[in-house]
Amino acid sequence: MKRVLIVDDAATVRMYHRGVLESRGFAVEEALNGIEALEKALETPFDLLLVDVNMPRLDGLGFLKEMRRQQIPQPPAIMVSTEAAARDEMAACHAGANCYLVKPVRPLQLLAHARLMLGEANQ
Amino acid sequence: MSTLTPHPDPGHGISNEDFLKFREFFYRRTGISFEASKRYFVDKRLAERIEATATGTFRGYFTLLRFQASGEELQLLTNSMTVNETYFLREEYQFQCLVDSILPEIVKHKVDSDPIRIWCIPSSSGEEPYSIAMYLLEKWSQINAWDVEIISSDIDTSILRRARQARYSSRSVQYVPARWLAKYFKAAGDEYQLSDDVRQAVEFTRVNLAEPADTIKYRNFDVIFCRNLLIYFDDLSRKNATDTFYEALNPAGYICLGHSESMSRISSLFKVRKFPEAIVYQKTREAK
Amino acid sequence: MALVRTKTAGEDAGRAGQAGAAALPEAADCVDLADGLESAEASVRRHAAKEILRCPNAGAALVSRLKREQDIAVRAAILTTLIRLDDPAATAELAGCLRSEDVALRNEAIEALGVLAGTGDRAGAVPPVLASLLADADPDVRIFAVNVMGSMAHPDVERWLIQVIESDAHLNVCATALDLLCEVGTEASIDSLVRIKVRFAAEAFIQFAADLALKRIGEI
Repeated sequence: MKRVLIVDDAATVRMYHRGVLESRGFAVEEALNGIEALEKALETPFDLLLVDVNMPRLDGLGFLKEMRRQQIPQPPAIMVSTEAAARDEMAACHAGANCYLVKPVRPLQLLAHARLMLGEANQ
Repeated sequence: MSTLTPHPDPGHGISNEDFLKFREFFYRRTGISFEASKRYFVDKRLAERIEATATGTFRGYFTLLRFQASGEELQLLTNSMTVNETYFLREEYQFQCLVDSILPEIVKHKVDSDPIRIWCIPSSSGEEPYSIAMYLLEKWSQINAWDVEIISSDIDTSILRRARQARYSSRSVQYVPARWLAKYFKAAGDEYQLSDDVRQAVEFTRVNLAEPADTIKYRNFDVIFCRNLLIYFDDLSRKNATDTFYEALNPAGYICLGHSESMSRISSLFKVRKFPEAIVYQKTREAK
Repeated sequence: MALVRTKTAGEDAGRAGQAGAAALPEAADCVDLADGLESAEASVRRHAAKEILRCPNAGAALVSRLKREQDIAVRAAILTTLIRLDDPAATAELAGCLRSEDVALRNEAIEALGVLAGTGDRAGAVPPVLASLLADADPDVRIFAVNVMGSMAHPDVERWLIQVIESDAHLNVCATALDLLCEVGTEASIDSLVRIKVRFAAEAFIQFAADLALKRIGEI
């Protein structure tokens, strides 16, 4: 079972994404900011990260940078944000994100990207 | 879409949705997360507080909890949700982390021969700092090569008196290995008196963390143990406390928090470090 | 070598610093502290950020420095002092930081405003600022304003959230408000929750979040 870490400060967003992913057999863990995400990523490896850009304490980009700095192996990362601005997308790529989605993410869109990231596009 | 299976109302008039809402709120505010299996425990505590506050229903109580300006009820509830019992070698894996991972790193980077300094706050009745002292004597192979100072502080002078006295119940020493018990304690009636050797290894001081004039002298520490204290503070007090710890630590100094605590609720001033035994937090090395 | 008793942070030393520490600084000291905020040494800036608390115009100097400050510890000290100051002008300046391109600064400002608004006697300066943020042309600023409400104990939070879901045209601003209504919503929100489901009938997430809020109020 593929393990996904959802990092978002909004409880409804975490629940929504969790529901979508669990319905297709993913195992989901949650964190509500970058520091907590880092703690979880240090604890056990994940196959995929689904990370909000704007969060308190440590934001999504800061989280990815910190993973790299601490040399924690980084799985594919999907960034989600309310901002469609190109500057954020570029910053996300620079920080090591593999793709960037604008909220609200539609269930099929999320699943398609998750499978693509995991190399399961044909399943 | 919840992860919980439908649950018959276990009483106390708290519905499944109430429980989920409360769980999210409490997690966001305190970092303490309850599994669905803890439902009965949580409901029971909530029911007690609903009764104590005469709010009548979960809904009335939740409004108090969420909108009370002083945050007092949240603190009282946190108190009742956490079992804050102190005894020797509680959360022993952290002491193991200290001797197996943290101290070796400190020693490796140390350029002077000044003592290694450990600050333990809150001191409470002394079980934690004394546990550290015994652990170092028994388990750290380098103890004869380095001086170690242990300073333990509390705001409460009466508890500090008890800590200095170092006389403990059998319950308090129940996890102390028999050999250590024989070596470091003397039976005194129903109780156990800690030996002078260990007592003298710990300096107890009175400190109010919220008072800069109290904390300004606390500098150059290598490790701070602050377990199960910050969860009881409001946001501003937590900010002040983490600021104080930042100032008190040497560059690359470490903080050990309690089992259910996380810096993710508190501050981005420290980096998360994962050791085989525990997760601890570290001040950046380049910081002054 | 072994466990040793310290001589450097004894009880007396710890208590000795107490006298006089709370005294108001002299005007000349305030000039020094303002200079200190601009020092090349991070430790000097950090010290100044803490000590400047009782000086006039501390808020403006602190926010000005915050916008340029790179050192994380100095930033933390500035934010703590700004919260302790609770100065309306500085709070307005802090709210202005929500428009910044700097993600860290933005998040720090949201958190500080939340703490400022979080407890009783410090709640004074935030609501007027919040009203102007909720009317900002940039939807992201409006989202951040709703984020600030997340830690506010103000009794009007639900009323403001209802206004947002009734009138804000932006999907994500409404989604953020719905998230918070799942926590603080009461019967007063029901009609608006039903209406927003109609307004964003094609948006699955809005349906999900509004339904959850209704369920928690006991309406579904």
